[in-house]
Amino acid sequence: MSERWQRSVPVYDTPIWTRPFQCLCALGAIGLILVLYREIVGLGPTSGMNDAYAWGIWKTFNTMVLTGLGSGAFAIGIAAWIFRRDQLHVVMRTAVLTSFLAYIFGLTMLGIDVGRPWNIYWIAVPWHWNLHSPLLEVAVCMSIYATIPLFLENFPPAIEYLYDRWPDLPVNREKVEKMIVAGYPFVVSLAYVLPAMHQSSLGALMLLGGSRVSPLWQTPFLPLLYVWAAAFLGFAFVTVTLFLSSVAWKRPLDLEILAQLNRLTAWLIGSWLVFRLVDLTVRGQIRSAFQANMFAGLFWTELVLLGAALWQLRESVQSRSPRTMFYGALLTCVGGMLYRFDPTTTAFQPKPGAVYFPSVIELTISLGFVSIGVAMFILLAKLMPILPAPLRLWREMEAAKSNQSLAPKPAARLGREQLVAGD
Amino acid sequence: MEITRRDLLHRMTTGGAALAVGSAVSAATMTAVAHAEEPATAPAQAVGMLYDATRCIGCQTCVVACTKANDLQADSRRDPLHQAPGDLNYRTKTLIKLYKEADGKEFSFVKQQCMHCVDPACVSACMFGGLKKDAKSGVVSWNGKLCVGCRYCEVACPFSVPKFRWEGYNPEIVKCEFCKDRLAKGEEPACTAVCPKKAVIFGSRAELLKEAKLRIAKNPGKYYQDRVFGEKEGGGTQVLYLSHVAFDKIGLPQLGDESVPHQYLKWQKRLYSYLVLPAGLYVTLVGAIRNNWKHHEEHMDEEEKATGLKAQL
Amino acid sequence: MVTAPVGLALTGKNSVVQMAAAIGKTKRPSVIWMHFQDCTGCTETLLRTSAPDVAHLILDVISLDYHETLMAASGVQAEKALRQAMTENAGKFVLVVEGAIPTKNNGEYYQMGGRPGIEVLKEVAAQSAAIVAMGSCASWGGVPSADPNPTGAVGVSSVISGKPIINLPGCPPNPYNLLAVVLEYVTMGKLPALDESGRPKFAYDRVIHENCPRRAHFDAGRFALAFGDESHRKGHCLYKLGCKGPVTHAACSTRHFNEVAGVWPIGIGSPCVGCTEKDVVWKLATFETVPIHSVTPPDSYPSIIVPTGQFKAGAAAVAGIVAGAAGAAALIAAKRLPKEPLPVEAGRQPSQPESKVPSGD
Repeated sequence: MSERWQRSVPVYDTPIWTRPFQCLCALGAIGLILVLYREIVGLGPTSGMNDAYAWGIWKTFNTMVLTGLGSGAFAIGIAAWIFRRDQLHVVMRTAVLTSFLAYIFGLTMLGIDVGRPWNIYWIAVPWHWNLHSPLLEVAVCMSIYATIPLFLENFPPAIEYLYDRWPDLPVNREKVEKMIVAGYPFVVSLAYVLPAMHQSSLGALMLLGGSRVSPLWQTPFLPLLYVWAAAFLGFAFVTVTLFLSSVAWKRPLDLEILAQLNRLTAWLIGSWLVFRLVDLTVRGQIRSAFQANMFAGLFWTELVLLGAALWQLRESVQSRSPRTMFYGALLTCVGGMLYRFDPTTTAFQPKPGAVYFPSVIELTISLGFVSIGVAMFILLAKLMPILPAPLRLWREMEAAKSNQSLAPKPAARLGREQLVAGD
Repeated sequence: MEITRRDLLHRMTTGGAALAVGSAVSAATMTAVAHAEEPATAPAQAVGMLYDATRCIGCQTCVVACTKANDLQADSRRDPLHQAPGDLNYRTKTLIKLYKEADGKEFSFVKQQCMHCVDPACVSACMFGGLKKDAKSGVVSWNGKLCVGCRYCEVACPFSVPKFRWEGYNPEIVKCEFCKDRLAKGEEPACTAVCPKKAVIFGSRAELLKEAKLRIAKNPGKYYQDRVFGEKEGGGTQVLYLSHVAFDKIGLPQLGDESVPHQYLKWQKRLYSYLVLPAGLYVTLVGAIRNNWKHHEEHMDEEEKATGLKAQL
Repeated sequence: MVTAPVGLALTGKNSVVQMAAAIGKTKRPSVIWMHFQDCTGCTETLLRTSAPDVAHLILDVISLDYHETLMAASGVQAEKALRQAMTENAGKFVLVVEGAIPTKNNGEYYQMGGRPGIEVLKEVAAQSAAIVAMGSCASWGGVPSADPNPTGAVGVSSVISGKPIINLPGCPPNPYNLLAVVLEYVTMGKLPALDESGRPKFAYDRVIHENCPRRAHFDAGRFALAFGDESHRKGHCLYKLGCKGPVTHAACSTRHFNEVAGVWPIGIGSPCVGCTEKDVVWKLATFETVPIHSVTPPDSYPSIIVPTGQFKAGAAAVAGIVAGAAGAAALIAAKRLPKEPLPVEAGRQPSQPESKVPSGD
């Protein structure tokens, strides 16, 4: 049944330390050990990067692509706050958490990718900034965004969790919440301006590749296309997250809200595709799409994926079929990720005869960080009120809590019940 | 959701006013920036190198001299007995490559090193100014104290020049720096000093351009397209090439007359200049959210009444 | 011809005529030549000279007051000649030492007239003006000092200190090394510039490899791989047969032997064994290749387009597996979602403006 999401409720009825969670933690741990190894022996032995392809998947995938997925806070936030799509407020916490995790781990990956990390402190010395560099804009803007507005946006569920566990904290809850309310517009506006800036600067990065980026992608509008793609990726990824959470933890779906998300996503994809194709035509590059080479193949793959996504999204809005909605959002994610990845690596030919493929260690570290991100999401979704749910789930949770406190304690099992029971 | 006419009018006027002010400021800024967007020119005392591929005999003395003058370790990884780098790398700041047609009829040596562009892409790319172009001599050099090892310069350079040291925990970006220590002492770079055929010579860029054009004039038809590479390519470079075969055959990329930063970073410069547009956007959004906050609060109050639970922020 | 061996030690001012005149004017310097653990090869090598030849050398250039191989005397008369030469020319004679000096058991392994050689050497050296250690044995121990060195053989500089010692290693060294030193001393009254091992720079400042006539073959990668193979017959580089040229300081590659061009080990196809170097000749195996210290480019060139990076199948497999797993997980999740639209909860209207009748599946 499709129930109206009214409140954010933690996933209170499943234990945290499950087998999948353990696997994610293990992968993450392996990733971290390999990071240590990478710091000692250097980038050469641990990655497939070379002098032609100086950027590997850490920068291009973990940072450039995954922060695109992590643009939910940006996209849904603007829809909810600026364009008054009030229904979407209830999914804001999910969006904001996924974004925060994507950004934090994307930034960490950036820190691991750079060869001389002891010089990172220059990021805080404005008079040494080279204001011409798009990468500087990305680094500074992303860092500020992740550590200030995005971080602060995640406060409300944390506050609820803290005061729930420790009701007698010295700081007055009302005061804290009043401060949050007062600062909201200022923090949240920053949370929209900054991503607009750095998501477009991520696109600007490959502008410097010049004609070595295939003309099917290289355009002066690359920054615009990137931030636009970030918008629909943000919507789509939050949708995917909500669906996966529903499947994994048997949470009820609210097809209205999901349909609205999908509608907005479809609109964004549709207009984006039009712009991209018009841009391609105006630059006279349509012919390149019909050459028999890898670039054309990639271009068509993106087009097909996003076209199929658009189709599924439109259909799902009408049919309200959960599976179609999910497919639509999933295809959007894959197509959008491919679009953001292509100009950096697959559509980039720095010089003839050059080839790049990530090494096993490189892939493992990348995967490890993704695993940590997913594990953290799971942990936080179980501890804090993040995922949206109908009111009845809240009431059931409260009931479970009070039952727990009255009933005799069951055999020791690491679950939220015990934590909530307050012992 | 109901909007009264008054609300609408109010919103439209404030919105319109904001838009008008914002547009005016942006237009003014962008015009100012557009004026400042003249393409860069070589500094007055720009040094240069002229490499004439028709004179080079491939003796590789320049390679040896460069290695010695720069305290580099000879790259004998491909061939344990000889210094045989396959390409520029962290041990090789210059090398000689051979272009040869399969039938052996057409061939040319080519010396590769940093082109010291007039408007370098690497300098524009570098986040903290780790690569800097000297204002007087135009030499592009690397400063380890500012370099964070992000390798954006490697991605940006159209000549694929800066090379990263991939092994070890203390990597560097390595590229020809015109032997700037020798220049400071009044000597010429090591490679130009030792070339036995004066195939690569040192001088001021202006003089070398003159010399190149003189050679072209004296030998019509000898040099490819009767022009010198680097006069205008990519916005101009301080290392100039004369060749009897096509430039792209000896590995010089085909570039237009605009430098990479000038061609591709125009809009970045315009949109971000003085952060006017972002600031304007921020102010607009704050206004909009404050406006919508009241509406959101009403919504939250309704929910609280309906559910009996405190609204979640 | 006379100026030739002095090589770098000469300036343009000294012409042949002037040098001959100078030699004639000076009182012939006294030279005492002593043998220790030697094979006499270093004396023999002097026989293969002509500028000056041995006769001219000992009759006109120097006063060879003591030489156990060449002198007519022996026994008590020889000892007397030594004593006389020492006292008459005290502080002025040049002592040439040939052969290593055994030090074990108080030097009992070499005795001159019943006295240990080391004692005699110290006595004579104390009176000398300068010492020339002729050959590897005198320079650093040579053949007798090879493992296990049962006699404790060492070079002169290990035994004598406080006197200028010129080492002329080689087995034997090119005789002109000695002649050049002698002539410089005789005509200009000074000794040549020495390196940190006491060897004259004009002969020992470069390694064989630097001036080797076969260097072009090394640079082009043409190596003899076995004695008598085609490359060997063609005179290609002997590096891979264990030539110690790259680590051996000597002038043999420019100044061959027996005054016939091409008569020197590498010239006849025998790899250099490094006879001047203590750490090379009886320390490294015959066919062991040595490191090249000054690495220079070869005769081949990289092409304009250089392949960079590789595609690794293992990594591709891992990436494939991960992508496949993610895809499978997504599909499994999708299958768990109902295809049909869910019934809407009571009291809630679908709110989208363009709502059509939801299509069943």
